[in-house]
This record gives sequence, C-alpha cells and structure tokens, in this order.
Amino acid sequence: MSSPDFSPVTVIGGGIAGATSAIALSRHGFPVTLIDEQPVAGGQIFRAPSPYARRVVPPNHEFSGGDTLRQKLAASSVDVRFSTRVWGVSPTLTLDLLGPDGIDQLPAATLVVANGATERFLPFQGWTTPRIIGLAGASILMRNGGTLPGQSVVVAGSGPLLFSVAHQVLELGGRVVAIVDAGHRSDWLRLGAMLSLDPARLTQATSWMLRLRKAGIPIHHRAHISEAQETEAGLLLTVTEMDHPERRHLYAADAAACGYGLKPSTLITRTAGVHHRYDPIGGYLEPVTDNAGRTSRPDLYVTGDAAGVRGMAVARLRGLITAHAIAHDRGVISTETYETLTRTPLRQRRRLEAVSRRMLPLMNAGSAIPAHLQDDTIVCRCERVKAATLRSAIQAGAEDLNQLKAWTRCGMGPCQGRMCEDSARGLLAAACGKTPEEAGSFTARMPFFPLPLTAVTGDFTYSDIPLPKAAPL
Amino acid sequence: MTQALHSRPDVFDTVVVGAGVMGATTALFLARAGQKVALIDREDMFRAASGVNAGTLTLHMTRAQLIPHAIRGREMWLDSAEWLGEDVGALATPGLSMAFTEAEEELLRQRAHVRQEMGAPIEVLSAQEAIRIEPGVNPTLRAAAYCALDGHIPTYRVGGAYARALRQAGVTIIENSPVEGICPVTGGGYDVQMTGRAHPVRGRRIVLSTGAWLEKMLGWLGYDIPIRCLINQLVVTETLPPVMRSVLSIANGLLSLKQFANGSVLIGGGWQGEGNIHQGGTRVIPENLRGNVRLAQHVVPRLNEAQILRVWLGLESETPDAMPLIGALTPDDDAFVVGCVHSGFTSGPYMGRLLAERILGGDPDLGAFDPTRFSSLPATGTHP
Repeated sequence: MSSPDFSPVTVIGGGIAGATSAIALSRHGFPVTLIDEQPVAGGQIFRAPSPYARRVVPPNHEFSGGDTLRQKLAASSVDVRFSTRVWGVSPTLTLDLLGPDGIDQLPAATLVVANGATERFLPFQGWTTPRIIGLAGASILMRNGGTLPGQSVVVAGSGPLLFSVAHQVLELGGRVVAIVDAGHRSDWLRLGAMLSLDPARLTQATSWMLRLRKAGIPIHHRAHISEAQETEAGLLLTVTEMDHPERRHLYAADAAACGYGLKPSTLITRTAGVHHRYDPIGGYLEPVTDNAGRTSRPDLYVTGDAAGVRGMAVARLRGLITAHAIAHDRGVISTETYETLTRTPLRQRRRLEAVSRRMLPLMNAGSAIPAHLQDDTIVCRCERVKAATLRSAIQAGAEDLNQLKAWTRCGMGPCQGRMCEDSARGLLAAACGKTPEEAGSFTARMPFFPLPLTAVTGDFTYSDIPLPKAAPL
Repeated sequence: MTQALHSRPDVFDTVVVGAGVMGATTALFLARAGQKVALIDREDMFRAASGVNAGTLTLHMTRAQLIPHAIRGREMWLDSAEWLGEDVGALATPGLSMAFTEAEEELLRQRAHVRQEMGAPIEVLSAQEAIRIEPGVNPTLRAAAYCALDGHIPTYRVGGAYARALRQAGVTIIENSPVEGICPVTGGGYDVQMTGRAHPVRGRRIVLSTGAWLEKMLGWLGYDIPIRCLINQLVVTETLPPVMRSVLSIANGLLSLKQFANGSVLIGGGWQGEGNIHQGGTRVIPENLRGNVRLAQHVVPRLNEAQILRVWLGLESETPDAMPLIGALTPDDDAFVVGCVHSGFTSGPYMGRLLAERILGGDPDLGAFDPTRFSSLPATGTHP
C-alpha cells in the first residue's frame, strides 16, 4: 500500500447519496467540499420542508430522515457550498460554479457526482396548458410547500411516484380523481411479491394502497392521458387505454400531475467525458460504473441515482460504498478494511437492488407513447416544435437525435432537452426503425442552465478586454 | 443505390468527400447538370462548420480580395428559394463595424478603404449617424463603418434544405462514413475507402471539401499544405426584446453580433476554444468566454439583461496565406479541392457553384485559389 493521499474531494449534490458520501469521506480524513443548488442539504427526497409545510403535512419519514441527515452534515467537517450550481466542467475536472457571489471555478482533484435523477416527461395533446405539472414537481409542491396543485387532481404517468403523489394529495385534503398508469397491473403484482425483500417499501406501499382503495379512486393500468383541454370549470382530461385506443375515459379536474419515471442526470458526467451506456430497461443513458461508483475516468466517481435509478435506500448505501472506495483508492484504508467496511452495505444493497431493478420497467412503461404522438402535439416546449416538424425532418434524412435538433431546434432551448429528449428519441427511433440507443442523445453543452450574462462579464472597462489581434485584411 | 455499395462498385461521375456547404453545393450543381454524384461525410451532413457557424453575411469581415465572391454568395443565400428550392431564412440587414479608440478608428478606416476598392459599399459614419441607424449601441463609440449589404442566416435551417434538394437532384448521400483512404484506379478514377464499409465508392473524379480535415486528405494526393484549424467560439442568449437590428462588429473583426427573429442574440467573432480535430473534442476557454461576452456587452449595453443559453465551438480551416483552395489537384483534371474560404459560409454556395462550373468544362477565374500555389507539383492545366 502506497502512502495515503489526503488531497481534497469535491462532492456535487447534497441529497442522500452525496451527503452520506461527503460525511463518510470526511470521517476518513479527507477535506471535503459539498456543492448543492438548494439552500440546505436533502436533495429531492429529503428536501427541507418550508415552515408552513411542517405545520400542515403530517410527520413522515422524509422529514425525519432529512433532518437527521442535515444534523449529521452540520456536525461533520464537510465544507458546504449551498445555493451553488455547477454550470460547466472541464476535462481536468475544474468545475464552473454560479453561487450567491457570482461565478467561480473550483479545481477538483477527486470528484464525486451525486446529482441524482431527473423526471422523464412524455407529451400529449394540450400538455402545455396551465395546471399540468410533473409528478416530481407536484411532490415538491405538496411535501415541501404544503400546497396542493389543485383541489382535485388526476395523477398520471408511470412508476411508484404515481402512488406516492396520490397519497400526498389525500394527505393534504385534496381529491384524487383518477390514477392513470402506463404499466401493467401484473408487473405491479410481481413487484409486490418481491417487497418482502424490502420491508420499508412494503409497509409504505401497503399503507398507500389501502388508503387509495378505501377512497374508491379509479386506477387505470396500461393507459395514459392523451389529451388535455382547458374549460371554464378546469381541465378536461382524456384517458386512453394503450391496448384498446378506442376505449376512452373523460375526467374533469383542477390539475393533472404527470411523469414517466426518473432518469439519471448526466450533463456533468457526459461533459466530463466518462463512458456512458444506454440501459434499455430503464430507457435512459447512465454512466458506466463499477459497484463502487468508479467511472472510465480516474478520480471521477458517480454515486446514487446519478449512476442509475435505484431509489433512496440504495442511494445511501452507494454513497457510503463510494466513500470507502475512494479511501481505498487513495491508500487511506487497506483492501481488508475496505472489504470489512463494505461487506454489510454491499449485501443490503444487493437485496434492495433486486426490488429497484424490478421497478425500472414500471417507470419506463410509457416508452411506446412517443411513437404515436399526434402531429400537432408540441414535443419541445422551449422552442415550440411539434411532432409533425420532427417527422418531416426525419423524412428529409435526419436519422440522429443531434441532426434532428439541428434541423428543427428541438432541444435547443433553455431546458437543453431535459423535457423533450425522451419523446424526440422515441419518435425518431420508431420512425426510422432504430433502437432508442441508435437514435442517440443530445450533445451536452455548457452552460448547463441559462447563466446571467453579467455573472460572466462582471465589472469591467473596455481596456480590460484582451482583444486578439485583427483578422487578416 | 445502397445495393451498389455492397456488390461490385458502381462508378460515380464525381465522388464529393465532405458534406458541408462547399461540397454539397458542388454536388448539387453537378447532379443537376446530369452527373451521377455521391456525397460522403464522416458524420451526418452539415454537422461541422457549416452547421454550427454564426451565419453572418458580412463584407466587413470578409477578406478584401474575396469581396466580389462574398457579394455573390450573399445574393445566393437571399435567393435560396430560387436555386436551392427552399427559403433558408436569410435576412438582409445593414452591418456596422465600430471603433471605440483612436487606434481602432484608424484600423476601421483602413479596412473600409480596401474593401471599398474591392466593390463593397462601405462608408464610415460619425457616432451620431451610427446611433441613428442602431440606437442600442454604446454611445461612447467614435465612428462606425456602415455596409448596406450585410445580413444573417439561421444556420441550423440550411442542412435540412440541402438534404431535400440533394435527394431531389438524385445525389447519393453516404453519411457517418469517415474516409480513410483514396486510391487511384488503373484506367482512371479513384476508390474512396470508408471506415466501417467493406467496399469503396468509385468515382471518375473526386472533390475534397472536408474543411479542417483537408490537410490529411491533400497529403494522400501528394500535397503538403499546412492547414491551420481555428476553433471558433459562439455564444447564444435566451430570447430578449429587440436590442439590435443590424449585424454588429468591431474594427478588428473580433466580434459578430446579431439578433434573430426569435429574439435570441448570437455572439461570435472568432474567439478561440481549445481542441484537437484528430483526437476529437473541443472545450471552452473561460477567459475567452469572458472576453467575448464583455466585448458584446460593451457594444450593446442592454445585453446586461441577457442570459447565456449555450456556448459551443466550431472549426474553421485556414491556409498559410489565408486564401481559399479551389481548383484541380492533378494534371489529369480528375481530383479537385474546395475549402479554406475565409468567411466561407457567406461565399460558400458561390464557391461550390464555381467549382461545379469548372468541373463541367467552364473556365471561371480561380487563379488566386489554385491549390498548386504552395507546392512544386506540376501545374494543373487550369491556367496553362
């Protein structure tokens, strides 16, 4: 074993994976900087509730778990930089940051990316109507803001977040009009049969399902919202059965919350140039990692849902294992100590991952929807690109997602394709007879989010600008 | 047509390597004249310089000697509906090049003068006159050169328009096929070999229009021309209320600034990024990003309200004398090159059309662009 290397470690993301990893790394003796865009740690699941939400939302595991995590982080020696976003990364792992004091650069000797997952959205006719929000957004609004998206809500899409959000609507005294799930009922039953491996999830799922059943809420499986219309009374939503498109159900509601599972956030890892793979079961691109979060690039680790969506409990274990792996790679602990420290977390993780993997097809159950989008449905909201425009570009020879972007502007807007990439890819793959993987992914570009121009320019005078010499005559 | 690629090689009249604006225009006019043409690209067509450049139509930044070509190129862009079959959205606007210091004003006058002599309708205006034309510019300017014949194109629309026109003209388009070798065939013509394809494509003649990749390919044909690769930075903002209506630049040419119809502002000017075309991958140099946007904000102060949406880099190729390479490469008149045209996007369609004319037996004046000028190889017979 070479002499231990205690040079600093930078962690991006203060959710359960990143915060757990940062705390464990600091216990191993590393100087750790944790960067998070929120004003306090917690990420999505453990996001800190507002004082109002603490009053109106019944106590729950996410509040208590988040509070414990924040206390542990505060008691650690981790240097935290909150309200700070990463807008770029260089191949040498220098991070471009935008924080409360403007832009800054932070060279990272070792980088742990724990920036979690992003919700996958699939469009339908009229989805840009007000009062239609994502499932994840609805959950933040209710759990962390204590506010209902509407008094009556249709909850639609796929994956376990459907039932979590429906439960949260009821918790705040709202009415769930219907639950519309793209998945097969039989897949849920198979998942249910596995939940004995994950008692925490079993307890939670049982209580949700009992409550939803008791409230008599209609649940449609293999169905999706195909159209939303705004009426004076609110939204009128058409629900279509995927295997019998002639069977339709109409629901009136104040709001609709809709989302089709989660995908890893990969802008940072793709820009840093690590190797990625397309997971056909999850229906998303993920960085290639070993079981400790090591990537194809030395000194860059990915942990938590950013390395593939496996949920909260696995994220905590992954964060811990990654921290031990870094300590091992740096010669701080021996192989024997590493194996001792990770034996239990690895075993627990294997058990929980069996359940998480079973959830991936349920989250990706809407994958066939983009192929059948109506021509006048907006796919890219930022640039107002409709399905017909994409189809005509495909006909002209755009058979790759980046060519489709170049010719139609789909994905060129402020969200950088986070919203439209999955549906554009699905539509392209179906139209060309390609697999989603062959259809490609949008090239990641800096800045990762719109950056105020003055944050880059700062205070300056004309003579400060290093003008290059004139172009040839 | 794909069948031919798998069985015995089908012979094309011309195989064009490089599907950007130069190569695609050459291919289009050759096919329309009745030739059987293949157009090959290492990735999807129009994805390199021709798909990611600033789309500036300007005489201020064009090299003085190329002004007549740039004027014709600009006319072609504005008339794209006529010859390409589709309006690519080119917009004619005035162009202002500004000076903020005494030295810049001197440079401005000098550059304006040589361009006037080459036929560019450029005149130098006082600060007040410039502000009247473009009220959003920084009032501390000293003078501005005004050109009535500038404008811009939303570059992203061009590739799709060419794709439709080329298919209609019967051009065989072979994408995602990097060319790894060009071998002369006994009895005339060339076999063009591509990575990932078992069989070469055979052409009676070839045209190289591969921009930054020309140095390597010209080397295969015995030419040793060092080609410099510029890695130009571009910055686009989120949409803004109207802040300008002309194409703006500064005296030394290191800024291009325009606002598109959708309200986004494009900031360019040739500030450099880092990268290597052989290893792939380019990256932004933070100081150059800051310098470029500071300059833009200095010229149009209202850009302080803007949000930077995206930064990207595009490759531009340049010969040792910064003049284009257009013409025949062999005494047999069966290999040609078109590229390294400074402000190449503006002049591109015209340059491509000139080469097609030359291949079809015409005699356009390409003397200044003769690729043999850098070497001791025998003259090509273009100008005996």
